[in-house]
Amino acid sequence: MQPSALSCQPSVNMLRGHSCPRFLTVLLILLLAALSSAQDHPIALKGGKLLTISHGTVENGVVLMQGGKITAVGAASTVTIPSDAKVIDATGMTIYPGLIDSETQLGLTEISAENMTNDLVETSEEIMPHMHTAEAFHAESALIPVARMNGITNAVIAPDGADTLPGQDSFIQLAGGSAPEMLLIRDNAMPLNFTGDERRNKGGFDKRRFPSTRMGLAAQLRQAFLDAQDYKSKWSEYERKKAEFSQNADKSAAKGKEKAGEKETAKKAEPTPPKRDLKLEALIPYLDGKKSIVLAAESPSDLQTAVSLANEFKLKFVLNHIAHSQPVLDYVASLKVPVIVGPIYEAPKDEERYDTVYSLPAQLYKRGVKVVFASYSAHGVRNLPDAAGFATAFGLPYDEALKAITLNAAEVWGVADQLGSLDVGKTANVVVANGDPLDVKTDVKQVFIQGQPIPMTDRQVRLRDQYSK
Amino acid sequence: MRLMSTSKFALLCLCLATALSSAVAQSASHHDVVIENATVMTVTHGNIKNGSVWISDGKIMDVGQTIKMPYGATVIDAGGKYLTPGIVDSHSHIALDDDVNEATSPITPHMMMKDAFDYQDKAIYRALAGGVTTSLLLHGSANMIGGQAVVIKHKYGASRDELLFPNAPRSIKFASGENPKRVYGSRDQLPSTRMGNFAVQRQALVEAQDYMREWDAYNEKVKAGGKEAKDATPPKRDLKLEALADILRGKLMVQIHCYRSDEMLTEIAMAKEFGYKIRAFHHALEAYKVADQLAANNIAIATFSDWWGFKQEAWDAIPWNATLSMRKGVRVAIKSDSEDYTRRLNQEAAKAMRYGGATEEEALKMITLNAAWIVGVDDRVGSIEVGKDADLVIWDGYPLSSYGVPEKVLIDGDVYFDRSQPGLGTTHYKEGE
Repeated sequence: MQPSALSCQPSVNMLRGHSCPRFLTVLLILLLAALSSAQDHPIALKGGKLLTISHGTVENGVVLMQGGKITAVGAASTVTIPSDAKVIDATGMTIYPGLIDSETQLGLTEISAENMTNDLVETSEEIMPHMHTAEAFHAESALIPVARMNGITNAVIAPDGADTLPGQDSFIQLAGGSAPEMLLIRDNAMPLNFTGDERRNKGGFDKRRFPSTRMGLAAQLRQAFLDAQDYKSKWSEYERKKAEFSQNADKSAAKGKEKAGEKETAKKAEPTPPKRDLKLEALIPYLDGKKSIVLAAESPSDLQTAVSLANEFKLKFVLNHIAHSQPVLDYVASLKVPVIVGPIYEAPKDEERYDTVYSLPAQLYKRGVKVVFASYSAHGVRNLPDAAGFATAFGLPYDEALKAITLNAAEVWGVADQLGSLDVGKTANVVVANGDPLDVKTDVKQVFIQGQPIPMTDRQVRLRDQYSK
Repeated sequence: MRLMSTSKFALLCLCLATALSSAVAQSASHHDVVIENATVMTVTHGNIKNGSVWISDGKIMDVGQTIKMPYGATVIDAGGKYLTPGIVDSHSHIALDDDVNEATSPITPHMMMKDAFDYQDKAIYRALAGGVTTSLLLHGSANMIGGQAVVIKHKYGASRDELLFPNAPRSIKFASGENPKRVYGSRDQLPSTRMGNFAVQRQALVEAQDYMREWDAYNEKVKAGGKEAKDATPPKRDLKLEALADILRGKLMVQIHCYRSDEMLTEIAMAKEFGYKIRAFHHALEAYKVADQLAANNIAIATFSDWWGFKQEAWDAIPWNATLSMRKGVRVAIKSDSEDYTRRLNQEAAKAMRYGGATEEEALKMITLNAAWIVGVDDRVGSIEVGKDADLVIWDGYPLSSYGVPEKVLIDGDVYFDRSQPGLGTTHYKEGE
């Protein structure tokens, strides 16, 4: 993070009325220090309760951060704090890794009803894999500080689900001096939405355009992947011919030195490359199984159709939504893929029990499925942990709920070596809060991203302070 | 068996006298239920540990650590769990089968939401399962003056009329800001601006004044009696103007959809101009900017806990709105305006504890007593007090958290939701039967 990103005055009022003056004072000094120095001093969070995620809870623990990484984690008695470290007394606090939201629209929207602030999805066509959320991502969005102030440090940003293939996701960090710094992985995955019932079927015959049915959606999607296979082989063929040509050219050039005059007759025409097609090109990493599809479906029948389509092209996938697939959860488990369960607030169908969707994470967990949570939101990303907490009231074990927004998510998105737990060597994305991270009442006191204390302010805090006088 | 009249019941007893058990005979005139061993969150007089509540014929008869225990009462052991009043949602559009907006004219005060009320809507049951027992079903915000609300109790499974809150006061919905101007502006009609909005509203109220004067003059003549009364012809009745006149006569509680603080002030000025009172601003996301003025005019707010940024006029929304306004003396309710959020208003209220440090009781009040005041039924529901309706929720877990969920929900003393029941978990039974 650039120093400029820290230029906001940290809010004193934010913590007013809470009993942690010592924590606050040290933090203020630290924030001011961070503005002026290059942050090379280690920071030690001392005395808090550590929720490590990977190796249990440590009471009276220490987290040491340096150079943007976690350099030590453990009981206060076992960690040696370097003499040059800035020590923050976190007694009474709960410390846990930064939370990861597995599907958001952060940086793609500002004011939902104002279309000029939205870059959510191209609805002109269903097959738009060449749309890259990374290219629309707005790093200065006012929504990002609001989300990270509640401990969300990383997120997947995805296009809106209005197309079968709406474009490619990115994996972001919620702090940084510029968009490129925040976009940790571009095109990390691609949504495939087989949710036709929710989309194109509406309207009378006169209003319809292809595809207006599930058959249409499936046929179009199949054609797209077939075309991509074809495209890929044309290019391989071209690459092969091109290699052959340059080999021959080299040979004749070598020969040419010996037998000048023969070269004109021996030369074959140079192969011309196929016309580039951005759409088909974008599908190739997925056809090659190098990246994951995020496969969304709701009902048992749509889910199974979508899975067979994915299998037809040997796509690697994780599942998304499946809010109304309770009758086939054993089948879901047999696929041995993770499931993004969403914020579990989707309404049950009329014939379903009130808690059908609330209990989905618990039902999946029971069957050995790895679950992760997503807010599917932009303005509401800060409430991600509440949904995980709520799922525990319907049977999801507490530790699993916490994992679903930390380590499980890091594993699903291929960043578990850097994120998702308090472990030595991982990125120092660390949250200090006054209690249980999954309870709606818990107040986050400080967030560190890459070891940097984030200014705990946003435009809402500023408005609050302006009108509290 | 629902609130069968005593005479009918006596007749039944007579017919089946020999077959009836003695227990039933003893409760011939009252149905008594006692919930015991609960942490009773009364809202108005603190929490009572190991508390009990005695309910008779749907009303709360006694509350306390020791209560009068009627002989033969059915006992529900709450197992030490929390007992709260039923949640009141002061802004909802469920159970209207999408007939929320008569968006064909900006002034439609004669629309009665009751006429669209779909008592079989499953959303009523899903809210009930979240502890909601009373809701104010409002017209939408497409029109400057929409329609008249209906107040319901969430007695899912009962007949239509049983779901209507008996003798609830009448409310009318006003709107302002972006929604009316977008709806009519997109058709190149008036209003398409905020000045258009208020001009349309003022025009309607001026016409209502004329109508009211005509009727007042006529009624005066009739009252005077004699020849004048004989000759007097009544003005033509006009449902729309009649409804507007009822606003001016103070017979309708005015509930105004309003986001921006400047518009709240304009609405207050217009209410003074025409002499009516504003009961509450709904959404009211900028209430914190003008909280003093709202408090001075005894105007409540029904607001979201932390929604923001969904439209331009929601850009200055802050999650401290509820507590900042409350501290300045505004009566604050947290409402859903949503089929989804109405299922977990307890969590939404708990956010007021986090954002601005509302106490547990203050937070709970935002979804019970304060919401009931906005609806005009705070003398009947919204707290656990003697004489009030026995609308109660037994919670599995602490209600002001991510974890509390309703185990049983009672309305007028009968169980309408029981989590332990199979199937939908909906039910309607009297404990002990």
